[in-house]
Parts: sequence; structure tokens; C-alpha cells
Amino acid sequence: MTATQDIVPQTQNQAEDLENLNRVWRHPRGVLGWLSYTTHQAIGMRYIVTAFIMLLAGGIEALLIRTQLAHSNNTFLGPDHYNEIFTTHGTTMMFLFAVPMMEGMAIYLVPLMLGTRNVAFPRLNAFGYWMYLGGVLFLYWGVFTNAAPDMGWFAYTPLSGPQFTPGKRTDIWAQMITFTEVSAMCVAAEIIATVFKMRAPRMSLNRIPLYVWSMLIQSFMVLFAMPAIMIASSFLLSDRTVATHFVNPAEGGDPLLYQHIFWFFGHPEVYIIFIPALGFASAIVSANCRREVVGYTAMVLSQIANGFIAFGLWVHHMFATGLPQIGEAFFTASSMMIAITSGVQIFCWLATMWTGRIRLTTSMHFIYGFIAIFALGGMTGVILASVPLDLQAHDTFFVVGHFHYVLIGGAVFPLFGAFYHWFPKMTGRLMNETAGKLNFWVLFVGFNLTFFPMHILGLKGMTRRIYTYPPEMGWDQLNMLATIGAWIIAIGGLIFLANVFWGRRYGTVAGNNPWDAESLEWAAASPPKNYNFEYLPVVTSRAPLWVPPEDRTFVTGLRNDRREVLVTTLMDAEPHHRYVLPRPSIWPFLTGVAVTIGFIGSVFDAWYITFGSILTGICLIGWFWPSRPVELEP
Amino acid sequence: MREVKTLDVSHLPPYEISSQAPLWWGQLFITFIEGTMFSILIAAYFYTRLRMDVWPPPGDQFPHIGLPTVSLVLIILSAVGSYWASEAAKRADRMGVIWGLLLNLVLAGAALILRIIEWHSFNFNWKTDGYGSYIWAFLGLHTFDYISDLVFTLVLLVIAMFGRLGPRQRVGVHVDSVVWYFIVLIWIPIYIVVYWGPWLVGTQQ
Repeated sequence: MTATQDIVPQTQNQAEDLENLNRVWRHPRGVLGWLSYTTHQAIGMRYIVTAFIMLLAGGIEALLIRTQLAHSNNTFLGPDHYNEIFTTHGTTMMFLFAVPMMEGMAIYLVPLMLGTRNVAFPRLNAFGYWMYLGGVLFLYWGVFTNAAPDMGWFAYTPLSGPQFTPGKRTDIWAQMITFTEVSAMCVAAEIIATVFKMRAPRMSLNRIPLYVWSMLIQSFMVLFAMPAIMIASSFLLSDRTVATHFVNPAEGGDPLLYQHIFWFFGHPEVYIIFIPALGFASAIVSANCRREVVGYTAMVLSQIANGFIAFGLWVHHMFATGLPQIGEAFFTASSMMIAITSGVQIFCWLATMWTGRIRLTTSMHFIYGFIAIFALGGMTGVILASVPLDLQAHDTFFVVGHFHYVLIGGAVFPLFGAFYHWFPKMTGRLMNETAGKLNFWVLFVGFNLTFFPMHILGLKGMTRRIYTYPPEMGWDQLNMLATIGAWIIAIGGLIFLANVFWGRRYGTVAGNNPWDAESLEWAAASPPKNYNFEYLPVVTSRAPLWVPPEDRTFVTGLRNDRREVLVTTLMDAEPHHRYVLPRPSIWPFLTGVAVTIGFIGSVFDAWYITFGSILTGICLIGWFWPSRPVELEP
Repeated sequence: MREVKTLDVSHLPPYEISSQAPLWWGQLFITFIEGTMFSILIAAYFYTRLRMDVWPPPGDQFPHIGLPTVSLVLIILSAVGSYWASEAAKRADRMGVIWGLLLNLVLAGAALILRIIEWHSFNFNWKTDGYGSYIWAFLGLHTFDYISDLVFTLVLLVIAMFGRLGPRQRVGVHVDSVVWYFIVLIWIPIYIVVYWGPWLVGTQQ
């Protein structure tokens, strides 16, 4: 599809337009300039790289856990260290890897797929990244100063309360939550606004790529789920630091309330991680089967249904807490119901593969792996949705096996597929396919070797969160198997890293559209220019790049001497007005620093809330203060 | 050379002050987040109430209704000032913006003073018991939002009086009104829970 380059409009001042675009969208220079970037590719890449480092950190923690559990009566880690490491592992993977990684991919891809130049609020986007980085640094500052949280990634009260966990470990955990949730909510608001108002002309809602739908649904879920965890962690933190009694049963609070609010967030969280992965799968399947995904409407509706049902599942994490039976029955039913909507999507992909011309790329391998593993994880999920079985398996390794099948199978495998799929777009070069397939098989074998034995161990009675076990339990062999699997996964990770570094340097130059895929990001250069498209495209089909080049239309008349984009109407994406995006600015970074001072300080002294608020207020005023009046004239 | 179809958009306006503006949508979603937070807090309040035999716990006074109701009326009226300023911003009417924002600030400031006078009469604080924690969480979170928006409104007023009231600032005035409507609207259920809650779902002494 190199033809796309020749068929842009040949206007008289094309050279001047291009020069203007390059000048207006250029990144500011220097360290201060680097802190002021607001383009979505740069911010998205920062999220992706930071989240990948967190994946490595969480992976190393997982290896430590598995090494400790390799055989009975192991003394590699003591109980305290073990508690810290499994808490940090869970916290890192859920809050610092999975969600930010999905957000980062979306920040990078969504504006490209929508055919626009940036997200709707570029400065908010930059601020969101600094908040996320603040959370990362805060938690790992704790880890390296012997203040890592040690009460489990969900910090159940009363164990995590001031009475049983004194010190700052839990406070650091709770405030790290606040950082990452602020970041996630910034991203969610801007993704929805971008999808609603900045689509390419005529890209009506029923033409947006399935990946963008998945991010739209995920972002709405973030808006309604993340406030719950902020309330939960704030309850915990204020009980610990300013002596409130939200979850203190001695003074008219309720510890179980914490679990309710936590899981009201925690269950949707699983889908917040998983739904973007469904979008990856749709994009990879349609590109590699060379046809549109079967059942677009069914896919979208079942994803929306997933989004809704996900909010009605939280109690299935709490079956063992002694809730009324009618409640348990309701949550069993809804937990099983979500298998229907997930099943619809699996069958849509299978039908697409059945009727398409499959190209067995590495990314396609990862999608096959995803479907196989996720189906298994889904089945153990249906098992756990049933109250009597859940009561037997609760807090055993069966649950650990189940959720790693769902989360790694459901999110990490499609994510690796997405890395292989979009790597050429982000870097301009392809990764090695042979090494990629090796990468897949090593990960697939290692994964199953690690987590399948956990189901059996769970059924044999091995409980979660124990740091060791006596030899007479008979768990040694299966645990050794799981530990070997974990090290094989680590080898898979190294192959991936090597492939990334190899690909960046020696990979085949990709061109705009190496997979001959249909969505708009493949019309941009690889890697994309800061402005993405020289002329914004007009979209007349769900597969805009599979429309013959002579039938395509381009937008002209946007001013190129400022960061101007097109705003379109919500439903039909008819052009409505032009919108000038703000220039790069240091204020989002300074605001991030101010909020960080407030957040971190408030763990130690409540007055920092006031101090931080004033600092933040000053920074926000700087952020919004009118700049030189050069913009916004017609 | 092949003919390429183009869609010319140079005739479209370069900005928009209405619900078509992306900023308006972004602000709407921020209010969703805040609204969800307050809804969860209200749900948690009633959850905790169900788990208690005596509500409010013995020793905590029942809330007064008088001053808070006056304050509520003032808050609702202050939204008129916001509306006025926002409509004036659409017409680029600088005096309208200034008077609207002033009215908003004066009424909202008066309501805030009444609220603070009222909370000084409480005989409990957030450390007393679960009930006190909730009341202060409602008041604290909402007042935090409230003061933040008042400061932002003040900044807009200063810009409108002494600075440049360009399109971006006018969109700011419009979006500020959206925030203020939310702060006013969400206060109504919170007012009911905080000041009427003990009378409606509490145990009468």
C-alpha cells in the first residue's frame, strides 16, 4: 500500500504546508522541553516503556515467589520478605503495569486510528503520565527503603488497619493507588472526548475500529470504577492517618464495607485490563485474516454488555464472607452470564478466521494462544462462580491458577500480539518473525507449565499467600514444575527483549502498512510524524484502507501554522468546527510535582493536603493563564 | 496527475462555545467521576447506618436544618450568575461575564460562610465515630471542590476584568459554569443526607 503516499491532494503550497506542520508540531528542545512534550506518540511511548519496566519488575518478583515455593521448607525468602514481595508483585502488575500499559497503547493508537493529530487534551495527557510516574516512584521508593506493603495487593481491613499494620507500608500502598487512579481517570476522560469529538469526518459511530470501541467502553468503565478504589483507599488512609473510623468496627465503622467498595472497583478492573485486549485481538485478527471481523454489531454490543455486567459481579470475590443467599444467587447468575457475552466475541473471531485467508504471523500466534488460554480461564471462572465450589476453592492456588489464566491469557498474550503487530508502526522496523514465533512457544509452554499445576495444587488444598509448606503435604513436585515454568516464562521475556532491540536496529524497514491492514494508523508514516497525517482522511467505510485509493477523500483547509484539528459531530462525525490544541507546556509537569508533594506529604502529615492544594492551585492557574494572543483568530 | 477528492473545512469556525466543544465533554466526564465518588460515599453511609442500632451514635447531636437550608437556596441562586456569565461568554459580552461571575462568587461565598458557621456548631468531629467520619467526608470533599471552583472562577473574573477575554478564556467561562452546575446539583442529595439523614433514617431520641 505504498500507493497511499502518491495520492494526497496536490495543492499549490504543499511544500509550505508540510514545512509549517513540521515546525508547529516540533518537540521543544532541552531538558525542560523534554518535560513539556504533549504529543500523544511521545506520551503514549513513555507510558508503554514505563509500564514495560514495571512488567519486568513484577516478573522478577514473581520469579522470587516461585523460587521460594519451589520445594518444601525452603528458606530462600523469610515470611516477611515473602509477604512484601507477593504484595508488591500483585500491586505492580495490576496498578503499575496492566492498566497503564493499556492506557499507553490507547494514547498511542487511538488518535491515529481516528485519523486525527492528537488526543483532545494534550496537556492533561502529559499530566496523567507524571501522576503515573509519581505512583511508580513512590511504591518503589518504599520497596527499596524497606517500606514495601505486605498485606496483599487488596489490603483487606482490618489486617491493613492501623491496629495490625502499623508503620508506613500500607499508607504508601494506599497513596500509590491515588496516583495511578488520577492518571487512569485523566486518560479515560480524554480518550472518550477524543473518540466522541475528534474522529475523521464521516467516521460515524458504526464505522470506528473495534479496538477504539473497546477503549471507549474501557474508558467509561474507568470513570465509574476508579472512584470506588479512590474511596476505598482514602477510607483506609484516613483511618490510618487522621483517625477516622470508616472501616473501624470498634467505633461504628465496618471492615467488610472496604471489601465491597474495593471489589466494586476490583472486578471491573479485570475488564478494564481485558477489554482493550479484546480490541487488540479484533485488530490483529482482521488484519491477518484479510477481512473485517464477522459480526461487528454483535462484537460491539457484547463488549458493551461485558462492561455493564462487570459491575454486577463484585460479590463473587466475597462469597466466603457470609452474605445473604439471595445476593449470592444473583452474583452467581451474573458471573455466569458474562460467559455468554465473552463467548459471542470468541465465536466472532473464530468465524472471521474460518472465512478469512489466515496469515500465520507471530501476532496471530499470540491470538491463538489467547483464545486457548482464555477459554480455559473462563471455564474455571464459571466453576468459581458457583458458591459451593467457590467455598471449597476459596483462597487456594486454584484461584491463583484461574486468575493468571484469565489475566495473562486474556490480556498479556493479546498485548504481546499487539507489540508484534504495532512495533513496525511505532519504530519503523519489523521484529524478527522466526524469533517471534519462538518467543510465543516459549511463553506458551512456560505459562501452562507454571499455572496449570496450580489448579491441581489448589484442589489438593494448597492455600494462597503461604511462604512455605511441609514436605508431607505432597505438593513438592507440582510446585517444582510451576517454578520451572516460571523460569521458562522469564526466558520468553528475554527473547522478546532481544527481539525488540534487534528489531529496532536491524529489523526490515516496514513502510507504512506492512500487514496490509485496514485501519487508519497504517496510513501514517512509520513511525508517525508528530502531526500523524499531512492531510486528515475522510472515512467512508469500516475498512478505510481497503477502499481503492482513487475513492478516498482528504480534508483540506485546516490551518497548518498552529496545532489545529477538526472537531466532528458525535454520531455521524460531520465536520463541525476547527479546534486549536494548546502548545507544549511545562505546567503539566510542575502541576504533577505539586500534586506529588501533596500526596506523598499527606502520608506523613495531613497538613500537606492543604499545602499541596495551594501549590497545585498556583500551578493550575499558570497552566490556564492566557498565553500570547496569537492563536484562535479565524 | 490523478484528481483527488477533497473536503474543504476552511470555512468552519476555529472555535466553539457550546456542548460541541471537546472541553465541554471532558468536563462532563470529570463530573461523572466526582458524581460516582459522592454516590459511593452516600451508599457507604447508608450501608453503615444499616449496621448500627442507634443512628447517629449516642452523644452526637442531630443536625440543624435552618442555616443549611438558607445556604442551599443561596447556592442554587448562585448558579444563575454562572448561567448569566456563560451566556455572556458565548456573545463575547465582557460586562455580562464580569457581572455574572461576580454574582456567582458573592452568593456562593455567602453560602460557604453559612456552611462553615454551621459546622462549627457540631459537637463531634471525624475522629469521634463512623458517623462523624461520614459527615466530615461529605463536607470536606464537597467543600474542597467548592473552594477549588471558586478560586478558578475568581481567576476567570480577574482575566475578564484586566486581561484578554479571547475565545479560549470564553470557553473557560462556559465550562466553569458546567462545573458549577455540577457542584450545585450534587450538593442537593448531600444536603439531604447530611442534614435530613438522621431525622429521616436515624433513631429518634
